[in-house]
Amino acid sequence: MQNDFSRRQMLESASAGFGMLGLASALQTAGASNLLGATAASTRIEGITNGIAPKAKRVIFLFMNGGPSHVDTFDNKPALIKHNGEKPEKTHLNRGGNWMGSPFKFSKHGESGVEMSELLPNLAKCADDMCVLRSMHTDVPNHEPGLLIMHSGHQQPTRPSLGSWVTYGLGSENQNLPSFVSLCPGNPVVGPFLWSNGFLPGEFQGVKVNTKQLKVEQLIRNLKHPNMTREQQRMQLDLLKKLNEKHLQLRQQDSQLESQIRAMELAFQMQKEAHVAFDVSREPEKVREMYGKSTFGQSCLLARRLAEHGVRFTQVYYVDSGKQPWDTHSDNNARQKTLCADSDRASAALITDLKRRGMLEETLVIWGGEFGRTPYAQKNKKPGRDHHNTGFSMFMAGGGIKGGTMYGNTDEFGMHAVENRVHVHDLHATILHLLGVDHTKLTYRYSGRDFRLTDVHGNVVKDIIS
Amino acid sequence: MGRSKPRLILPPTQVVMLQSNFYFLRHALFGCLAALVCCNSLAFADDDKKDATQNEGADKEGADKEGAEIDAGKLEFFEKKIRPVLVERCYKCHSAGSKKVEGGLLLDSREAIRKGGESGPAVVPHKPDESLILDAIRYESFEMPPDAKLSKQIVADFDVWIRQGAVDPRENSSSSSELAKEEDPSIDFVEARKYWAFQRPQAHPVPKVVKADWPLSKLDYFALAAMEEQKLSPAAKVDKNTFVRRAFYDIIGLPPTPEELQEFINDDDESAYEALVDRLLNSPRFGEKWSRMWLDLARYAEDQAHIVGNNKALFFPNAYLYRDWLIRAMNDDLPYDEFIRRQLAADMIEGIEPAERVALGFIGLGPKYYRRNDPEVMADEWEDRVDTVSRGLLGLTVACARCHDHKFDPIETEDYYALAGVFASTKMFNAPMTSKNPDGKGGDPKKPDPKKKPDPKKPDPKKPDPKKPDPKKPEQAMHIVKEGKVANIKVHIRGNVKTQGAEVPRRFIQVLCEDGSEPKAFSKGSGRLELANAIVARENPLAARVFVNRIWGQLFGKYLVATPSNFGALGERPSHPELLDDLAVRFMDEGWSLKKLIREIVLSATYRQSCNGSEAGLKQDPSNRYLSRMNRRRLSVESWRDGVLSVTGQLATEVGGKSIDVDDPKQTRRSVYSKVSRFELNSMLAMFDFPDPNVHAARRIETTTALQKLFNMNSPFMIAQSKQLAKRIEDRPNDAGSDKTELSSQIRYAYELLFARLPAADEIELATVYLDVEDVQQRKLRWEQYAQLLLISNEMMYID
Repeated sequence: MQNDFSRRQMLESASAGFGMLGLASALQTAGASNLLGATAASTRIEGITNGIAPKAKRVIFLFMNGGPSHVDTFDNKPALIKHNGEKPEKTHLNRGGNWMGSPFKFSKHGESGVEMSELLPNLAKCADDMCVLRSMHTDVPNHEPGLLIMHSGHQQPTRPSLGSWVTYGLGSENQNLPSFVSLCPGNPVVGPFLWSNGFLPGEFQGVKVNTKQLKVEQLIRNLKHPNMTREQQRMQLDLLKKLNEKHLQLRQQDSQLESQIRAMELAFQMQKEAHVAFDVSREPEKVREMYGKSTFGQSCLLARRLAEHGVRFTQVYYVDSGKQPWDTHSDNNARQKTLCADSDRASAALITDLKRRGMLEETLVIWGGEFGRTPYAQKNKKPGRDHHNTGFSMFMAGGGIKGGTMYGNTDEFGMHAVENRVHVHDLHATILHLLGVDHTKLTYRYSGRDFRLTDVHGNVVKDIIS
Repeated sequence: MGRSKPRLILPPTQVVMLQSNFYFLRHALFGCLAALVCCNSLAFADDDKKDATQNEGADKEGADKEGAEIDAGKLEFFEKKIRPVLVERCYKCHSAGSKKVEGGLLLDSREAIRKGGESGPAVVPHKPDESLILDAIRYESFEMPPDAKLSKQIVADFDVWIRQGAVDPRENSSSSSELAKEEDPSIDFVEARKYWAFQRPQAHPVPKVVKADWPLSKLDYFALAAMEEQKLSPAAKVDKNTFVRRAFYDIIGLPPTPEELQEFINDDDESAYEALVDRLLNSPRFGEKWSRMWLDLARYAEDQAHIVGNNKALFFPNAYLYRDWLIRAMNDDLPYDEFIRRQLAADMIEGIEPAERVALGFIGLGPKYYRRNDPEVMADEWEDRVDTVSRGLLGLTVACARCHDHKFDPIETEDYYALAGVFASTKMFNAPMTSKNPDGKGGDPKKPDPKKKPDPKKPDPKKPDPKKPDPKKPEQAMHIVKEGKVANIKVHIRGNVKTQGAEVPRRFIQVLCEDGSEPKAFSKGSGRLELANAIVARENPLAARVFVNRIWGQLFGKYLVATPSNFGALGERPSHPELLDDLAVRFMDEGWSLKKLIREIVLSATYRQSCNGSEAGLKQDPSNRYLSRMNRRRLSVESWRDGVLSVTGQLATEVGGKSIDVDDPKQTRRSVYSKVSRFELNSMLAMFDFPDPNVHAARRIETTTALQKLFNMNSPFMIAQSKQLAKRIEDRPNDAGSDKTELSSQIRYAYELLFARLPAADEIELATVYLDVEDVQQRKLRWEQYAQLLLISNEMMYID
């Protein structure tokens, strides 16, 4: 079945990493536009849609590395206050301390009455756009496997990440920029595997952008020649193009050579466009201020700029060079306060800004970490909270999500998700669904079988879709 | 588990794929839905498969349509919601496999669950009130499971399931293993062995051909016969310039120098071809080029994907010793059977030098996962070993059988656990370095890198430590394996470590054993040596074929079997079965020699064709399945980088040693010596399609991206190399009678260096216009820019 030059091969070899737009012109250059057919659907791979016109076109995933405390943010548990300091019953898993009620006051917000603690005053104003998932659960209470499951659906580093699957399935929304970008100061724990393409082709790897500093030239590798001007480089590439075209003429039609020529032109254009897209200093001071001047705040702003330029999947990490800021084993209360202040401001600014620009409907914003934190204290001079995987909270906004929703519940102490439980696989299935993709159909043949992001699991949480 | 009851409609594509009735019979009726899901919906999104056939509405034979959808829905509910809970939370005490069945209650078959135990029926279909199991899991009468209450959701699921009639496909389970019954009828191995890949390869007589003066070697007859059958004729013989560049890159991964080019061009004797090929095969560069292919399939790396804190205890700082062993083994043309034996079991071969154990890095450099020693994690590690060995050496996807019998190939779960047992009985091991360094260079420390000043504070790790080497420190050890606690392991039902079935003896894969003979259990320790011997035994139909096919793919850019690590039912069929078999048989007969194999292929008329075939051939066979021309190939990132360094005159020639950072623009050693990280792959390698070293890579996938081109345009490496090339051209030796400063002769030299040919008149003209500027400084810059554009041109990146 070594087929002729198949559509698939064409896609693999000619896409130049930039999906349909780039591809369409590449194909035209190749005189093969008919291969695209009349139905250049919104997916890159055929037969993966769920049959519903998707609202979400792109995703911004705000990742609170370390695991934010659900009982201090979104999951109000009066029982914890009532039993504050008491020893939990034996039936609850407990690695040490006593119940620790949240010192932060919860109240209902917006017309919908979504509950949040006082740590999130800005998000509170976005309540009617948010869907809080209060019944998340994952498989293990350790960072490494937890991060891997949240990113790739699997505990071992052998599978492609969510963003790679999405861009593999949907292709790019833009012509001159990468379609999957990870914004992270330094590396998180586990590191680059979190945006790895795994066994998918290399073009679906996330482009890592180190946000430790935000100067454009330092954000993206090789974006600019150290001393050639744009005109000089154009001249150089013009000669290269002539030589490459002559080389091609002497050979029988060869789409590989053609796509190389095309990719070189795209790269030249990308230098310019990336300079614009990745440059947050072009934003008015007021806007920069609104997001907050922290690394995370400015990264959220950068994510919005990338979304505007058609980057399909952006991950923004709340990370501090390999440290996990949200991992509050000690001094939980004070640290949650600081972390939330930063994250709340930036996340709310992002939602507000996207909405103001009319982009929220087609941009799915996700907020959460690899797991939550224990409702009981971890003994320490200043008590903390430990890792907790059997019940925690995340939220989503935009992208076809039903705003003003609280979905699912943990038990009265916030220990275990008990009502409308949402496993990470379900979350993944739902994200793909919102993008118009059936998670059971998005497969890749590797090592003799078809792999899926959700493996054999995953149920779309239909109740939270508008 | 029931085979007869379920009425699942197989996805049509799946049915279409089934090539022999054997698979159809086995799989049309199985009811293991969860397992099916992971293998169905063949999207053809395959790295190996390029065929996008989606045969809608195809044959749905075998699926009983009557009530199928309703049943399937309820059955799916059972499989997804009920069975996993029963298996994980109840079977320990309530199945035939339990050590002690509690309360006389079995929950592992339809009949048993309805009959119930001492207290009465556990499940009464449609009657939740009478079903005791609901009381128990609600903690109302009994409190089950006793360790922890099931979630409300699960309890609700049981309620729904019973209300809807408690559909339950599980037949009687008298066996101790649910899995053992999972997919009866068992495989008919006599029938299964009729599949092409499970029959031993045969030598074939030379087929009759019309164009009898074309073939140069035996393989050409097969290739030509196939062409003639398709009414195709071979392309013209490639010109000598193109051939020499092709042969250099293919055999040693480097371009010819202008002198080497001239020597070959000037030798009109037909024997010049053989002389050239022999010289290249004997070059020390040969092993550097060919070891990389093996490193891909061995998922070679020097660290782990998971790093906890800054803990490097699981790293492989001396992994390079294994890589150097490979280079040596290939340069020495170690016979392939012995090559395999040593990599799997050097520690078990009698009379072998202890230093040779470094070959065990093939297993010993495998991933060590986070939380290792946890049973679940160790099971993941065994899967890595089984996968690497089975796909890498046998072209079989045995790891598919970890959770259920293979859906398409006659590989049972028992086969998987028989192999996993070998690796479960083997320990990853940091062996103390012997007084004699395992790199075979004696105990003397290697020459220090002249560019690097030794840090006086740090003891040189290469210097023999006065104290005994401490193998606990990976820096002082070689990373191999040794015998562990030898034991069989039990089948993990559905791949779950918590639900174990019958014990499986350690042994070879049954379908690869002789008809009529039960696979013999391994008896010597873990059985690694027996496994290695079984793999390279003449009786094994796969090992030689798989290897020969890999080499063919390297040299032609397309494989005879297009899925080099999957010769199973979902893999491709060989384009030239007789050619493949004949080569495989002769490969074994002639001493499993890699160099002989390459020599025959490279000197064949098939290989010596031009890339430009006839127009008719191009139309009729655009993918060139029938080899009526050579395939144009893109250089791997290694060959491309090495080629750049070679033409700029910068390439270092030292063989072996510690790994390097290819991102360092000053680094001039060959790319095969690059550090390979599972944590963070070198950015240049990753950008240019280097495979993920966490898992076996069947072959490279090629992508073309703008980020690659940004590297070409702006990277410090390219800029540095462009300057070097410009300088080399300026400093070139004076050839007779030409003016050294004359532009056209400089351009000519550049073309010889990079493309092994002379430039055409218009190429000289274009370059001259670009380069001919008055200002000396400007001219120098233009030369650097010109050098760069040649280095990043398509002609540099591809071989014809």
